Amino acid sequence: MTSFLRRRFPLVLAAFFIAIVVFLFVITAQGQATPSHTEGVSDSPQAPDWDKAAALNKAASIHGEAVNTFALPVPPTQDPCLHCHILGENTNLWMPLSRWLLFGSAALVFGFGIYRSTSVFNTRKKWKPLAARTAEWVDERYEISEPLSKILNKPVPRFATRWWYCLGGITAFLFVIQGITGIMLAFYYKPTPEAAYASIQFIETEVRFGSAVRMIHHWAANFMVIMCIAHMLRVFIMGAFKPPRELNWVSGVILLSVTLAFGFTGYLLPWDQRAFWATTVGSEIAGSIPVIGNLALVFLRVGWDITALTLSRFYSLHIIVLPLITVAFMGAHFLMVRRQGIKEPL
Amino acid sequence: MAETTQPAPEKDTIPFYPDHVSTEARVVLYMLIGAVVLGVIGLLLPVGLGTPADPMDTPAHVKPEWYFLALYQVLKYVPKTFGASLFPLAIILLAVWPFFDRKPDTQRSQKMRAIASAVVMIVLIALTVWGEVS
Repeated sequence: MTSFLRRRFPLVLAAFFIAIVVFLFVITAQGQATPSHTEGVSDSPQAPDWDKAAALNKAASIHGEAVNTFALPVPPTQDPCLHCHILGENTNLWMPLSRWLLFGSAALVFGFGIYRSTSVFNTRKKWKPLAARTAEWVDERYEISEPLSKILNKPVPRFATRWWYCLGGITAFLFVIQGITGIMLAFYYKPTPEAAYASIQFIETEVRFGSAVRMIHHWAANFMVIMCIAHMLRVFIMGAFKPPRELNWVSGVILLSVTLAFGFTGYLLPWDQRAFWATTVGSEIAGSIPVIGNLALVFLRVGWDITALTLSRFYSLHIIVLPLITVAFMGAHFLMVRRQGIKEPL
Repeated sequence: MAETTQPAPEKDTIPFYPDHVSTEARVVLYMLIGAVVLGVIGLLLPVGLGTPADPMDTPAHVKPEWYFLALYQVLKYVPKTFGASLFPLAIILLAVWPFFDRKPDTQRSQKMRAIASAVVMIVLIALTVWGEVS
């Protein structure tokens, strides 16, 4: 039996996958053929007029009177119980059954692995842990162990273990936190004047842990500005910007201004009164810079007024352009620190 | 012999891995705990939203974020063009600073820079607080 499996393992694997695909196809087709959950709902008198709601939304535009589409009942063609739908409780038996099969077989394989490992425990000197074997497999192909060990074995001067050398690293990790929580928020945020406010309300009230994620994003942003300034002061006072580290300082200044730009663009996104008027004032200040003021104003507002286009622009700057710039300059910053070493204190 | 009588000098470096990495990891762990605490607070007291944006209705007190408050406060008392160019000028000054301050560092110049940055920070914080309460 075992030799049979070993020799025909690719075949068995292929058959297994084909079976899964066919099974999923059958289930999907069946689900489409019997939309059982929509019956009896379509004539409901409580169903909202969705065309009217859409028209209202269009008319309300930026005046903040848009209908909160999240608060309306779901349209009659949709399943009202989202989580029943995901679990397949009120559709059919096949969805939960196939999930049990998939995860159950994975659990069986896992359990068998543990059983095997314990049964060959006495011969453990002959085999290596999975992580070590994976590392060897990768190293055989790409030969990364030598450069990697060079990177990892680089000595760190003892003076650089004091806490004030940590400020830059804290800023970098805050940026990671901002990236993760920002992606979570972007899953639910809608960058249009009609829907922005309502979608933030949705995040705060409906999304599981949505208010927690927004809180972390909000405060980590403020801490990131503080840590940037603190790191900059440390570098400035200790003279770490002096030759030959000028370019590292310049990249740091760019990173600081990008962080402030993050704050400025992110502030508009909730589209409440404070956001709108702070952006009005901020872009007005940018507009009164001599020579480039008008260019800056028109670039920021996409025209003379703050409209839906401004929101789109700030959103794309906030989630695409500025993160790319930050990652690029942060990489350069770290590489330069690594290459030149940390400045010794006097 | 010298090396037997004198104690071995303490090594002035530590290995990056695992010593330094574990220190960094501890910092990351503390920050993650802080993030979780913030999240729990956020679940109980959400950040919240003001009233929806209305271009027709200018509120009485318009304020930018706290890190632009100092600039905003300055702008109330100086000509607009001059005040607005302060921020880009400050950034440019910071960026070109190392190309002019090139002499080898001394204890004295370090002290001078510390005093100068302390003065600047106190002025900025004072302006920010003033902008916040006014």
